[in-house]
Amino acid sequence: MQNESPSLFDAYDRGGFYDEMLTENGPRAHYQKLFQNLSAMSPHDFRARTELADLTLMNQGITFTVYGDEEGTEKPFPVDLVPRIIPANEWAHLERGLGQRVRALNLFLHDVYHEAKILSDGPIPRDLVVNAPNFRRNFIGANVPGDIYIHICGSDLIRDGDGTYRVLEDNCRTPSGVSYMLENRLILTRVFPGLFRENSVRPIDDYPSVLLNNLRSFAPPGREEPNVVLLTPGVYNSAYFEHAFLAQQMGIELVEGRDLFVDDNMVFVKTTRGPQRVDVIYRRIDDDFLDPLVFRPESALGVPGIVNAYRSGNVVLANGIGTGVADDKAIYPFVPDMIRYYLGEEPILEQVPTYLGWRESDLQYMKDHAKDLVFKATNESGGYGMLIGPQASPTEISDYLNQVMADPRNYIAQPLIALSRSPCFVEDKFEGRHVDLRPFILCGKDSVTIMPGGLTRVALRKGSYVVNSSQGGGSKDTWVLGESRNVMQQSMGSMVQRMEGGC
Amino acid sequence: MLSRHADCAFWIGRYIERAEATARMIDVHYHFGLESPLVGRALTWEAILAISGQKKKFNLRYREINERNILHFFAFDQNNSNSILNCVRLARENGRAIRDQISSEMWESLNRYYLDYRRWNVDRVISESPFAFFQSVKNGSHLFQGITNRTLMMGETRDFHDAGRFLERADQTARILDVKYHDLLPRFTSDVSIPAPTDPAVVDPFSVGGTVDTHGWTAVLKSVGAFEAFRKTYRQGVTPARVAEFLILNPQFPASVRHSIGRVEGCVRRVSGNRDLSPSNPAERAVGRLYNDLNYLRADEIIASGLHEFLETVEKRCAEIGFAIGATYLKY
Repeated sequence: MQNESPSLFDAYDRGGFYDEMLTENGPRAHYQKLFQNLSAMSPHDFRARTELADLTLMNQGITFTVYGDEEGTEKPFPVDLVPRIIPANEWAHLERGLGQRVRALNLFLHDVYHEAKILSDGPIPRDLVVNAPNFRRNFIGANVPGDIYIHICGSDLIRDGDGTYRVLEDNCRTPSGVSYMLENRLILTRVFPGLFRENSVRPIDDYPSVLLNNLRSFAPPGREEPNVVLLTPGVYNSAYFEHAFLAQQMGIELVEGRDLFVDDNMVFVKTTRGPQRVDVIYRRIDDDFLDPLVFRPESALGVPGIVNAYRSGNVVLANGIGTGVADDKAIYPFVPDMIRYYLGEEPILEQVPTYLGWRESDLQYMKDHAKDLVFKATNESGGYGMLIGPQASPTEISDYLNQVMADPRNYIAQPLIALSRSPCFVEDKFEGRHVDLRPFILCGKDSVTIMPGGLTRVALRKGSYVVNSSQGGGSKDTWVLGESRNVMQQSMGSMVQRMEGGC
Repeated sequence: MLSRHADCAFWIGRYIERAEATARMIDVHYHFGLESPLVGRALTWEAILAISGQKKKFNLRYREINERNILHFFAFDQNNSNSILNCVRLARENGRAIRDQISSEMWESLNRYYLDYRRWNVDRVISESPFAFFQSVKNGSHLFQGITNRTLMMGETRDFHDAGRFLERADQTARILDVKYHDLLPRFTSDVSIPAPTDPAVVDPFSVGGTVDTHGWTAVLKSVGAFEAFRKTYRQGVTPARVAEFLILNPQFPASVRHSIGRVEGCVRRVSGNRDLSPSNPAERAVGRLYNDLNYLRADEIIASGLHEFLETVEKRCAEIGFAIGATYLKY
């Protein structure tokens, strides 16, 4: 008979993967305090806190609707309460690498919509860029304020079997998830206030202020008090919660396409006191749906004429139009070349080796090694259009290869990376689940701000590598630790001294 | 503010009020039915259908008028656009559409109202407690309105919300009175002046002042939460004319047509900032006109010209006010 109550870590199996928290010799240094706290907690206690968190989410309406359920059942977005911790030195490395990347991507966009030198000079094949579905030919020559196209970038990072961070993709169009980053933090501070006192976690709550300041700074010249709005597809969009959340946090209007109209190449919003000019639009609608006059004519979400207003410089769109060419999965393998070409630097962050269906030798390799590779369609997101070779049946593979052969440009393949795992609360104990990390990068006119943290997404299904929320993924709060606790205590100490000595 | 946001606020106000009015109506008639073997339940359920003006819609889809079907139709029917379920759901959807404009507490309250409501169904209402069910709906509406009062900035969002809420209330009060008038009193004619209190013991139970009659008018008062206030105002007893006077013209009773329309006028005047006597737009004109009538009319004049005709005009003019507010401010 055992007297000890069961620990949440009983029978925890790292399964041969890189575990974020544990090594064979116990917890990593930056997880030490958290590990002690969690070890002292009973499964019952942890479950109670999970239920509290779920209830908070339900009541706040942070839910998603279960599709195919006529009753319209709603479930809270799954948050795993074990935080993911990134020590200061690792973060400093990521911060440098991500900043370098987004600078290169913005330079690339400006280049391909102007002289396209990088295509003439050779590093990137012209064919891949100009025939990319999201390359907006009619924007060639258009200028945008500060030459910034990507104002908000969400890059996905993964860690491989050695724990090396690798960029999996950059989301340069309308990346989402930042509201979950902020909400997860809020929930954790409510459910585990004690943990924050013991770890020096860097705050992330100024994200909305930084974003708003940036957006205002891009306003057309002469607009003293710029009117910034957030354009959403509406309440039925899966990211609507985030749109409303950000608009509220920034104190700006949340508008739909039908609230806006264009007159004389200027954008106006319909108010109870008549039309009001709009200067900056943080849009969460894809290019395709933005303007029925230019893109999809059947789109009811957009605003007719908005693209011409944008081209005339009377309104600023964030992100800019045409950024999709920079996060095309077939362009992705060339980002290190962009960094070398535009910045004259070596890339700081690793990528994942990628085979292009567009390249004949790669295509042959993809066919021969399909069962070892992960296939992705180049312009899908949300975990759609994927095939995970090692987990697929021969029929699934051959069906998928038929699609690939019909349009090779549209597919890439990568080796299956053994994503790192992090302990998650599953049925009254901790089990390892695969995670990734999406930090959020904000570009101002001449500054790049990266929120210390990001959204750690979790593949909650056992053995699954797919972290997207549309595919049964959850998320975790992500803690970036301050330089060191001593530094903070020292500076606190000197403040106290100054205060004492100052009277 | 954005016209669409104003529209959402206006409709949140209406739907939350409508959910409460519907719950009150069924609640009171439910208990009236239980207590009134003389009248029989079928008659009172008929009356409810008539108030709502949805008899046809009901008959298309339900074979029989009975407690279960009525409850389902008014409280849970997804195809009845005015069912409590749909009112609460639409209030929440409108709240979701402007959740950046309203306070987080308001949104959470709308959200909880809906989620809690989804735990009810006809079986549970009947087997558990109809009283608890109706109470939970009333409480849900009241909680939301209280939170709105306490947390929403004094400004346009609030004015549009309140305009919707009080316009709906005026309309609902008029409807309840109108239908009861017809349904309960087939023999009561408009040329009768305010009748004196009578002794219920000596009269035909179905006549004016009879048991059923008194019982019915008491139910009307209760269904708008007016019974106690009425008692304090009129010590002489419940008569149709007094009930009508109280519910239409009383300036202090919060659900009277006059008070409600006065509140709507306050809202539209605050939005425009117009302090002149004359209206500055169609919304002010429509609401000011009705409010003036209610301020200057006497109860006996209303009775003499026909209560039903008068109430029908009130309902029509409430609809006109809704259109005028929409045309003036909410078009998008």
